[in-house]
Amino acid sequence: MSTNGGDRGGKAPRWGRPAGETRKEVSTRSVRGGTQSLLMTRLATHLVVLVFVAFALYPILWVLSIALSSAGLATHGGVIPIPHGLTLDNARTVVGVGRPGGVALFARQLTSSVVVSLGTAIVGVIVATPAAYALARFRFVGARAAERGLMATQMFPAVASAVPLYLILDALHLLDTRLGLVLVYASTAVPFAIFQLRGSFETIPIDLEEAAMVDGATRFQAFVRVVLPAARPAIAVTALFCFMAAWNEFILAATLLSRESSFTLPIVLQRYVGEHDAAWGPFAAGAVLVSAPVMVFFYLVQKQLVAGLTAGGVKG
Amino acid sequence: MERGETEAPLRCEARGLEKSFGKTAVLRGVDLVVPDGGFAVLVGSSGCGKSTLLRSLAGLETVDAGTIRIAGRDVTRLPPRDRDVAMVFQSYALYPHLTVRDNLAFGLKMHGAASADIASRVREVSAMLGLDALLDRLPKELSGGQRQRVAMGRAIARRPKMFLFDEPLSNLDAALRADVRVEIRRLHDRLGATTVYVTHDQVEAMTLADTLWVMNHGKVEQSGAPLDVYEHPKTRFVATFLGSPAMNLIDGTLKTGSGGIVAEGFDVTVGVDPARFTTVAPGLDVTIGLRPHDLVVHEEGMARIGEIVIDVVEALGFETYVHGWTRQPGPTLIVRLDADHARRVRIGEHLPLSIDKAKVHLFDRTSGLALA
Amino acid sequence: MNRLAQAMSAAMLVGALASCENSDDARTVVVWHAYRGDEERAIERVAATFEDRHPGVRVELLAVPFEAYLSKLEAAAPHGHGPDVFIDAHTRLGAYEETNVVRALPAGIIDDDAYDAPSLDASSKAGVHFGVPLSTKCVALYTNVALLPDPPSTLEALEQVKLPAGVFPLAYEADTAYYHAAILSAFGGRILGEDGTFAFDSDSGVKSLELLQKLSRDHVIPDEPSGSLVTQLFASGNAAAVIGGPWLRADLGHAVRYRVVPLPSIAGSRMRPMLTVEAAMTTPHGTENPVALDFLRFIGSRDAAIILAETGHQVVARNDAWSDPRIAGDDALVAFHEAARDAIATPTSARMQSAWVPADDAIHKVLRGGDPRAALAESRRRFDDAVKPPPPPASPAPALVVIGALLLFGAWRIARATRMSEVRASLPAYRYVAHAFVAVVVLVVAPLVAGAATSLFAGTRDNPRYVGFANYAAILTARGGDLLGHGSFYLTLLVTVLWTVLNVVMHVSIGVLLGVLLSRPVMRLRGVYRALLVLPWAVPSYVTALAWKGMFHRQFGAVNALLGFVGVQPVSWFSKFSTALTANVTTNVWLGFPFMMVVTLGALTSISKEVLEAAEVDGCTRFQRFFSVTLPLLRPALLPAVVLGAIWTFNMFNVVFLVSGGEPDGSTDILVSDAYRWAFTRDAQYGYAAAYAVLIFGLLWLMTRASQKLTRRS
Repeated sequence: MSTNGGDRGGKAPRWGRPAGETRKEVSTRSVRGGTQSLLMTRLATHLVVLVFVAFALYPILWVLSIALSSAGLATHGGVIPIPHGLTLDNARTVVGVGRPGGVALFARQLTSSVVVSLGTAIVGVIVATPAAYALARFRFVGARAAERGLMATQMFPAVASAVPLYLILDALHLLDTRLGLVLVYASTAVPFAIFQLRGSFETIPIDLEEAAMVDGATRFQAFVRVVLPAARPAIAVTALFCFMAAWNEFILAATLLSRESSFTLPIVLQRYVGEHDAAWGPFAAGAVLVSAPVMVFFYLVQKQLVAGLTAGGVKG
Repeated sequence: MERGETEAPLRCEARGLEKSFGKTAVLRGVDLVVPDGGFAVLVGSSGCGKSTLLRSLAGLETVDAGTIRIAGRDVTRLPPRDRDVAMVFQSYALYPHLTVRDNLAFGLKMHGAASADIASRVREVSAMLGLDALLDRLPKELSGGQRQRVAMGRAIARRPKMFLFDEPLSNLDAALRADVRVEIRRLHDRLGATTVYVTHDQVEAMTLADTLWVMNHGKVEQSGAPLDVYEHPKTRFVATFLGSPAMNLIDGTLKTGSGGIVAEGFDVTVGVDPARFTTVAPGLDVTIGLRPHDLVVHEEGMARIGEIVIDVVEALGFETYVHGWTRQPGPTLIVRLDADHARRVRIGEHLPLSIDKAKVHLFDRTSGLALA
Repeated sequence: MNRLAQAMSAAMLVGALASCENSDDARTVVVWHAYRGDEERAIERVAATFEDRHPGVRVELLAVPFEAYLSKLEAAAPHGHGPDVFIDAHTRLGAYEETNVVRALPAGIIDDDAYDAPSLDASSKAGVHFGVPLSTKCVALYTNVALLPDPPSTLEALEQVKLPAGVFPLAYEADTAYYHAAILSAFGGRILGEDGTFAFDSDSGVKSLELLQKLSRDHVIPDEPSGSLVTQLFASGNAAAVIGGPWLRADLGHAVRYRVVPLPSIAGSRMRPMLTVEAAMTTPHGTENPVALDFLRFIGSRDAAIILAETGHQVVARNDAWSDPRIAGDDALVAFHEAARDAIATPTSARMQSAWVPADDAIHKVLRGGDPRAALAESRRRFDDAVKPPPPPASPAPALVVIGALLLFGAWRIARATRMSEVRASLPAYRYVAHAFVAVVVLVVAPLVAGAATSLFAGTRDNPRYVGFANYAAILTARGGDLLGHGSFYLTLLVTVLWTVLNVVMHVSIGVLLGVLLSRPVMRLRGVYRALLVLPWAVPSYVTALAWKGMFHRQFGAVNALLGFVGVQPVSWFSKFSTALTANVTTNVWLGFPFMMVVTLGALTSISKEVLEAAEVDGCTRFQRFFSVTLPLLRPALLPAVVLGAIWTFNMFNVVFLVSGGEPDGSTDILVSDAYRWAFTRDAQYGYAAAYAVLIFGLLWLMTRASQKLTRRS
């Protein structure tokens, strides 16, 4: 049996075109001066991206310079954020150097944040993924109502939610526990996660699951072994969102936790802001330190964002 | 005669299948039987229900009424994984995150086979289909034809009771299609498999089938050996579906003419053989069916049925199709000419036609049923 | 990945569960405070000393961030959780008493003779002691010794002093009523009158504001002052004198040599600052803890006062502590003590809470050049509006009937529409959604419903009165005022819609653009770019929002400095609606585009390369390909993010509050920040705020339904 010629190389596929139709004339512009225009577009692309990177970085640089300044908030004015009196003291203060047991305490608080945020990411994904799958694939009684309900939870500003949540967690004996906090965060992140995942599941062709079911899988096995791997990018994105939602959240954590060693980092940071004044140096240093793990987490997760695993599983 | 006749036990027996999606009825009482080792092809235009029927056999759709038995077991209420069937999808549906090897092994793993058995079975299938060099590749690294073979390999590896093919060749280019078509039949014979195959392409249908099942609007209009169905279509739909170019249809009426009843319409007059058409009477509105391949140029001694004015000449080299009309307004008739006659015709010419009486088809104009 | 996740989650759950609430030790007292720095060290010393003197007793101190203090106390204390003892300003005593956070002290805790009358009065209500006065806080005048060798005793003298160019004679947070009250007092005025009226609106008020305008016009004081600006100016020697409290000392350190003196007088009358008394109070369950009472006694003792003064540099309220040489030698501290003698205790009534914002409004207007009399009249109107009594209680009967009927109707409709067969067919699906359903209903829906229910009530939390839909009626009629006037629901709605549209358009455009650019394999370094572009999302927004606010400062902000580079005049960002909105939008766009970018990146992975290649071969230019192929294919995955993003923007409280604070004059407030104001600054009218929230929800619901019908999503 003859095989189709080797790999696909760079040839454009002929699918989607009824037999007999002629190709449009390839634009002469791209033929002539090809490499030059390619260089120009690359340059332009880099330029555009760099502009936005500068936009994104500029305020951060200000925060960084405050973090590295010894003179408190002495960096007003000027365009270039240069620290006055370069020092690492602010960072040391935040981390607890100089106070007895300070560093150990900070380490535990950092751990607390990591535990809570990772927990939120995991619980959020575990809870949201099957529900999103059900909404994408099944037609069941109450699906529309559930969808609308989930959307509705996002629309309600939580003006007075702290006290009811407090009471509910109290009833569940989860007050002042990180588990309780994880559950609250995950539940708040779940509606968005469900929508996001559902959109992604809908782009996965149903053929894959059907093939798996004919091959001997139950629906659930097909879900776990075939759909989930194909939806890895979406799951990675969802995990990232849940993580971020938890990592920087302050008011609920502060209201629901009552032991200093389990305080999460946003609480630690806000302690530098008082009623009349704030210790801007440590506050800024703390903000920078607090952002580092997130960047790491994002960098790890973003590889999943790019790998297009659905390509190739289904023809076309 | 049909291969694998009634002596062989029935591998698949589906009776009275009905299925509706909402208010639309897609299957309206369908029966399908396939003997052990048989190759049944479901054919019809889009929307006729053939894919739904196939999916119902697989268990991907649940039927509203009817029973399905596979290898003697009633599987009507069983989920796909308990039916022991394998399916090759139109889009191949290869698991994108698994290598070819793992794709082939997937079904076996799901059924809990021992890893040694899995490995040997994978080797066997891979050798059979020439996939040895590709075992460690991912689907996205394969060409269309290669993916198709992996899809088939995945089905074969399971040694199921029945193979189901859902238009597996429609995504391949023409040359490849012909090769793979042959390959599928060869594998079927070699494995002694039982296959149900869905296609809209009548060439595939005619060449692959032991039994052809022509479907239209949720019902099986006719089933039988391919040549049988081709030569003796029971309905107008079946008659025009098989054969390319399609059968010429001319609306007419039965009249009494010299020498018996004739069917006449649009300046075409065809003699009606009373031995074949026993239940007809003059005055009946009919549709006359004349296949392009059966029409010949009138010569001395033949019964002339009419004459067309040539409109279009399609010369394909080995044969030529000539399109013409008998009367304007009126239907266009297509006639196949052999090379000899082909050379001599010109557009605008009048071409007298004739046909062997035995090859004339008559259908009731209202019901579309064949009158023979 | 599976195994790892399982192991980690198991470990975490165990660890988290292990950190449960510890058993109550009968010999423990839990003390909460919001102190930082030196003050925190002081209270720790006090606790340690107490433990030394009472062996077997433990003091559990918890330092709570100031931002969360109120919320934490109000959630925990009324329900028997939280501290036994807590330290807070006397100004919140009124609210605490109403919400059952605090309870009167038993007799014998306080040594009455040891304190001045003002301190005792501040920490009492109707003659009953509620707190042990610890320290006083009021502002005084810091003078730069080098620039002002003789500290001026009058404001006029201060204005006349010869100073180097660019140095302000005076810097203070001129735009807050708290500081302005001192000037007001020199004219004999008050913010809140004895009878609870808005006394600021008076001749004395007008005169004080005219003086303020003059100071601003003559550049005696800097523009757009903030606490940090004031500190920085003084520390760098660019302000000869600043008005500030004892808290300033920690920030100044040894940067500048200074002296603290009482506030100067204006036209012969002294400026009298407002006085805050910090007191140690007890929760209801704290009064039953004998150890807590002992602790209170100790913290009110002379020894504790000396510790607080010496380590924490607090201006302690106990008079006999001042004879101690360690404290008497601290000149600045003594100066604050003197200044406190002259101060006016901040009234604790609920009305005072409602007076701050209108007072601030008037001051802001005046600083932007408005007419003082008109500004004060408008502020009085707003104050009166805010303290309007809640609607009369209504009978819940009609609402119950209506709700009951609705529920029955809904149930009937549902029962009619579903068939048992459908339900049975749905059962396998329920397995997938069960835990999500439970989690969301219990932890998200229930609190929201509870919140919504409070909208039917008015009054304080412990004394709610059912008022039916009166709250809604009030909002929708703009409280009887101008339908498009200040603070009107409709005006704010327009602003909110404008805010949302601007933000969403920019978020999506920038996010999608960057997502597309950064997913092309051609881009080298794109991993690095992506990581950098995510920074705005990664760094906590409460920090970056404040950074942006600083960048938009008229005089010292970076944005104006950058504009100056290209020759544009400095813009006063927060004095006009358009520019303030621009500042808010810029900040929010900066915060929000990474999210859209990440979503786009994820969505792009589902578009097969071949589709794009086919389009390219078909002769599309890059733009055509983007708009006709990429964008439509992105839509399904992007749509939820865009819709939800729009909803979140609609309810984005943080940015508006932190950057513009609603300036100018509340015009950049959006619906949700208005709702929060009602909850937290206008005498905690939670019911009213909840009604706002329900209305916001209703609006969003209608808008999404309408947009769905328009786009006809499949």
